[in-house]
Amino acid sequence: MSQHSTSRRDFLARLGVSAAAAHLMFNLPSLGWAATANRKKRLVIMFSPNGIIPEHFWPDEQGPLADLKRILQPLDPFKSQTLTLHGVCDKIKGDGDGHMRGMGCLLTGIELFPGDIQGGSDTPAGWSQGISIDQYLKNKLQADEATQTRFGSLEFGVMVPDRADTWTRMSYAGPNQPLAPIDDPYQMFDKLYGQTKNRELLASVLDELTADFKKVEAIVSVEDRRMLEQHVDMVREVEKELQQERKLASEKADIGHAVPDMPSNVEDKNDNMPQISRMQIELMVNSFTADFTRIATFQITNSVGGAKMKWLDINEGHHELSHEPDSNEAAYEKLIKINTWYCEQVAYLAKRLSETPEPGGQGSLLDNTTILWTNELGKGNSHTLNDIPFVMVGGGLGFKTGRALQYDKVAHNRFLLNIAEAMDHPQATFGNPDYCGDGPLTGLTG
Amino acid sequence: MTRHEIRFLKRKSQWFHCGTIIVLWMSIAPTARCLADDAEQGLLDRGAAIYAESCAACHGEQGQGVADSYPDPLLGDSTSGELAKLIADTMPEEEPEACVGEDAQAVAAYIHHAFYSEAAQIRTRPPRIGLARLTGEQLRQSLADLYARVDGVASTTPGLGIAGTYFKGAGWKDENKKIERNDPVIDFDFGLEGPGEGIEGDDFYIHWSGAIRADVSGRYEFVIHSSSAFEFYFGDSDRILINNRVQSGDQTEFRASLHLTGGRVYPIRIEFFQRKRKTEQPPSSIRLAWVPPRGIEHTIPTANLLPDWNPPAFPLQTKLPPDDRSYGYDRGIAINRDWDDSTTSAALEFAEMAIKDLWPRYQRKHKKDADEDRAKLRAFLTDLVQTALRGELDDATRNRYIDDPLATSEDDSMAIKRVLLLTLKSPRFLYPQLDMSESPSVRAANRVALVLFDSLPAESWLVDAGRKGQLNNEQKIRDAATRMVVGDRAKSKTRAMLYEWLNLSHMPDISKDAEAFPGFDSEIVGDLRLSLDAFLDEVVWSENSDFRQLLQADWTFTTDRLATFYGDAWKPAEGETGKIQRSVGDASTRHGVLTHPLMMSGLAYFTTTSPIHRGVFLVRRVLGRTLRPPNAAFSPLSPDLHPDLTTRERVELQTSPESCQVCHVKINALGFALENYDAIGRFRESEHDKPVDASGQYLSRSGAEATFNGAAELADYLATSDDCHRAFVARAFEHFAKQPIAAYGPDRLDRLTRQFQESGFNIRQLIIEIATIAASQTLATDSPA
Repeated sequence: MSQHSTSRRDFLARLGVSAAAAHLMFNLPSLGWAATANRKKRLVIMFSPNGIIPEHFWPDEQGPLADLKRILQPLDPFKSQTLTLHGVCDKIKGDGDGHMRGMGCLLTGIELFPGDIQGGSDTPAGWSQGISIDQYLKNKLQADEATQTRFGSLEFGVMVPDRADTWTRMSYAGPNQPLAPIDDPYQMFDKLYGQTKNRELLASVLDELTADFKKVEAIVSVEDRRMLEQHVDMVREVEKELQQERKLASEKADIGHAVPDMPSNVEDKNDNMPQISRMQIELMVNSFTADFTRIATFQITNSVGGAKMKWLDINEGHHELSHEPDSNEAAYEKLIKINTWYCEQVAYLAKRLSETPEPGGQGSLLDNTTILWTNELGKGNSHTLNDIPFVMVGGGLGFKTGRALQYDKVAHNRFLLNIAEAMDHPQATFGNPDYCGDGPLTGLTG
Repeated sequence: MTRHEIRFLKRKSQWFHCGTIIVLWMSIAPTARCLADDAEQGLLDRGAAIYAESCAACHGEQGQGVADSYPDPLLGDSTSGELAKLIADTMPEEEPEACVGEDAQAVAAYIHHAFYSEAAQIRTRPPRIGLARLTGEQLRQSLADLYARVDGVASTTPGLGIAGTYFKGAGWKDENKKIERNDPVIDFDFGLEGPGEGIEGDDFYIHWSGAIRADVSGRYEFVIHSSSAFEFYFGDSDRILINNRVQSGDQTEFRASLHLTGGRVYPIRIEFFQRKRKTEQPPSSIRLAWVPPRGIEHTIPTANLLPDWNPPAFPLQTKLPPDDRSYGYDRGIAINRDWDDSTTSAALEFAEMAIKDLWPRYQRKHKKDADEDRAKLRAFLTDLVQTALRGELDDATRNRYIDDPLATSEDDSMAIKRVLLLTLKSPRFLYPQLDMSESPSVRAANRVALVLFDSLPAESWLVDAGRKGQLNNEQKIRDAATRMVVGDRAKSKTRAMLYEWLNLSHMPDISKDAEAFPGFDSEIVGDLRLSLDAFLDEVVWSENSDFRQLLQADWTFTTDRLATFYGDAWKPAEGETGKIQRSVGDASTRHGVLTHPLMMSGLAYFTTTSPIHRGVFLVRRVLGRTLRPPNAAFSPLSPDLHPDLTTRERVELQTSPESCQVCHVKINALGFALENYDAIGRFRESEHDKPVDASGQYLSRSGAEATFNGAAELADYLATSDDCHRAFVARAFEHFAKQPIAAYGPDRLDRLTRQFQESGFNIRQLIIEIATIAASQTLATDSPA
């Protein structure tokens, strides 16, 4: 993939064609590689906490995906686009308990700073010492005109506690720079469409304003009236601009740039998680059709998150249950159900992406998007950082899907290198170089 | 009209020729020093005679036009030369060759001077109280007060530090409370021992609460140095500004900037956590500092910290374009897209805060009110709209601004946003003088708030006094102004006025030759700023509020650092404590702001003094006289090339040409009087082993010549100088009223200056009078004020 874009760039450079002109000239089917190189590639990192139940998660054998286990069942319709990686381990040591390191090192691949936050065990720690893979890619994509988008990345959340600490943050803009996910869909809506909405509102009040200007103009002296007239002229100018904008917007709406409708008054609380999750997924899909971003994270609660899934008749918090021994059958069963619900969110996103055609391109959004579903722990009651769940759905990264892959306890830094490479921004190392020894994992592309 | 002015006009017309409009020339003061130019006066007389005979029949006696022949008035911006050519070629119409050569030049010069040019138009049409929109500062202040409608405006209290509550262990537990006290500043190094008895150094929690006062509007950067975790809340109890809940790695410096509004009090809260660690326990420390506008980083002083509860406050963050300053003070006269867009952003920013903060709080306060047909929301919005539009709403306005938007927005947030956007974009909000339909008393309340606070009436007593018709005579208005002038908002506006008077807002950063002035660093400059601020406040807000103290006081404010650097005259007076202390008196070398080292070093070069900068400051700012710009840009003569000359001698040498002397005879003679103060404001008696010659002189507006030797005599002269008093009164008036003082009557300035002198030069009284004059205009019903 990366060779394609490089050679295309060289080709353009030799021709002396600007990127913009090239876009027009080469977006033609007759130039075979143009379509592939222009393909938008998107990455969504979905997070759910507290480890999984391995027996009901991992495929038994490597190779083509056979029947999916209970937790992964919701992905059955997308089996051919799914890829599981078993045997990839978060080997980062240092300060912080398992949950903290699991969360803070998952996307950064580097140790936490010493700090004053004490977990349930181990030593206290602070924030991560490095940038996370999503933010690294954001910076790279934003630096190139061809892949630049309005936001570069969007950080979605579902019921993330209003508390900034090592357990609630997985994205980092750099060392000691954790990014807060937005877990209020209305706030995310404002971020994406607030400006548009405000412009519409402004347009709607201008008529009233002009009328009032007329009224006050009548009561001032001739000299002063000139100033008010000047002001009214300006209001008219703004009005015209807004009309023009509206016209353009309504034309665009036909090709998928419409502002989505949001259900009203959904409170940000535990019991509304299913609805909030759907709203956030809709906003994400919309932001992809409008090309607001190509990188997104979707963080359901947080490391040690205690969602109470009453809608599944589970009244205990997730984290509390995750500490129960496997012999506690009731808890074991509930944990399977909880993780299945998380998988349903992944599947729902996959479904929405698969139903949405790629604007200006071929296939669906899912064909050009990889959802990477992951977790800070391999298993809840052991707090292991081995066999971190990595399940991918979709074609964004161009990996060969429909398979289960098995690795022999490799460092997850190497997998982060695969992601960087697949997004056309390869790196020799990512995070702590000590864990990048043999380079990207082999076998992902086939 | 002196001939000097004619020369000005000629210069001006050349500038117009270059396409540059210099409004500066609008205030032209006759200057006795300037020599008459008989030839030019002769030309004008000749032109006037020709015009009367050959032109006036068609163009009118004052160029106003004549209906049946040439109806358009003669005005424009062509130069006198261009007019002369035009006249020679075309006029009079029936016989163009009748007026050519010197005749044409004479007529052109006369027309240009008498009515054609812009300067002539201003001269013939005296200043009036013009309509103006809110300036940037007025918009900020108005929104701050509008926000305060729900919870009230902070009451004015002295800065006493901040309230600290100290606990052992991890959080707020009454039984673990060990210390409750006022901390004058937050600057602690608790080490490993901890803050006090009963509290272990490795495991404690401190809750600081109170408020911060911003003295002037501008960008403030908060800097917290802390080796432990903390959260810093600002403006409202749940508005977090710096979140360092996790102390991570060796990061110990945390910054965040905000635009704050001057004279406003913002509640703050700091939660500080020293957490016990299994690993090596680091010591704990915290310092709360800021970088105020034009300042350097320093610990937030006691004077800006308040220990008590204060209502939430809203600092507008929208960037507003700078205001027109061509008249020497901010005026809201520029109407352009930049400004219009900024008012939209400001309205939306305010609406967000109203939705997030004000409406929920209003609902909590009015739990028991009836809420039929959205009565609560209607009442909430009615109050905001009435406050913003500065009067009670008639039915049509109420329909337009409240009922209609409410009817079209089912969603409460949307309704609030729509109403506020409409209101805050309305001409009735943006142009405070458009309140003609209100009663004179309401308008007086509006005006007095605008003049003293740059804002609108928001406190109930003032709103009520206005609506009940109580502000119906001058004395009542004066009483209201007297009550308002001592508050934080009027103080902030006064501070800004004094900064303008001293030209401090435009003074570049001060840095000096480290070799010549070892130890004069940014910390010293920072302390000098604090010293000058404290001095200005003390003079204005003391009992006598005596303007002459600004020029003559033999004391100032000092810090330990300044005392060490500047020596004995900077020692604190007996019994003084704290960081900023009143100094001992020193009648021989200290004379108010004139010799304050911040002024002296600001009005000086890197290594040497600058009598020219000091002189220009005295001529323009302190004595209120006009000066032309120099004939060209000059670099000062290098001291290295003239090692034997004193600064005075060097300046005299460079400005000796006659063309320079026109102005420099005034400038130098004033600037030299401060030559006893070197480039960092230290007193000196000699320069290059020669005794300093600090003799100077001044020829007043009335033609009286004064001489003085040194700063003491200069200060004494200024304190008794009419020119100096008039300049201060005019500046104060125009800063507060934002209208030309002549618009309030041709003799207003003289009268007010006399009043000022008779009041014992009471600055506070002057400000009250200014507010009274401006607000009393509304009592005359036909006035647009």
